[in-house]
Amino acid sequence: MVSFSPEVVDSIIRTASLIGAGLAVIAGIGPGIGMGYAAGAATEAVRRQPEARGAIITTMLLGQVISGSTGIYSLVIAIFLIFSG
Amino acid sequence: MKYIDEPAKLQQEILKKTYSLALIPLIYSLIRGEFATLLGFIFGLLIATLIFRLRLIQIERALDMQEKKASTFIRNRYFIEYIIYFVVLFVARKNPSVNFLAAAVGLFFVKLTVIGLVMIDIIKGSLEKKLESYR
Amino acid sequence: MVQFSPDVAHTIIKAAALLGAGFAMIAGIGPGVGQGYAAGKAVEAVARDPEARGNVITTMLLGQAVAESTGIYSLVIAIVLIFTI
Repeated sequence: MVSFSPEVVDSIIRTASLIGAGLAVIAGIGPGIGMGYAAGAATEAVRRQPEARGAIITTMLLGQVISGSTGIYSLVIAIFLIFSG
Repeated sequence: MKYIDEPAKLQQEILKKTYSLALIPLIYSLIRGEFATLLGFIFGLLIATLIFRLRLIQIERALDMQEKKASTFIRNRYFIEYIIYFVVLFVARKNPSVNFLAAAVGLFFVKLTVIGLVMIDIIKGSLEKKLESYR
Repeated sequence: MVQFSPDVAHTIIKAAALLGAGFAMIAGIGPGVGQGYAAGKAVEAVARDPEARGNVITTMLLGQAVAESTGIYSLVIAIVLIFTI
């Protein structure tokens, strides 16, 4: 029968949770790519229709407020994993 | 939605509505005497406000750039924001007098307000359409 | 034949669950990219037809809020993995 000492148990769980935290943080790439695309499209749009600048900025701002939050979800999980492991 | 052509005014409006909506959890946690929750919520809300204001400034700057440059600029700024969020949540988790979950909810509060405003707009629009059809 | 003590089995399961929570949060990439793409397209639409900006912004925000749900699913799964096992 294989059995582990308490230190081994602790270190296995700690390793797993730290690797998990690292993986969770990868999700932050997504909003970055999306926002970058939106910014590129917005510059193009302002060049084409300069009088709609205010509306374009509003659209970008509200879009960014919504899309930034998936990153925070993954950060919340990552910090749970770092501290609870 | 009012002030669609004036982003700065719209931002002030959204922030005002966010704060008036935030009074509910603030007063609730004050009555319950949970000061850790109160502090965490205020902390998250403050950071969310600052980042919301920062975003408007960044967008104004990005719109005058070339297309490729603007997209890299906004992407890099988002990664900086991500690091700020990480530090904020880390500090909130490490400090025993600040509630971690309350800080996370405070970070989401601006977004919740925006979604609520849009929902109100959509419901209002559909009601008006129905009234028109009855006339 | 190698036999594990219940302690060892529990450790391995817990470690796997924590790793799995990290993997689950990678799903946050998807909604981020999608929401950013929606914002970019909305900006283009505002530039093409500035009169319809109110409708475009509400539609964009509604679509983004719906797209967000995938991120919330992965968050829920991650929380379940961390706290129930």
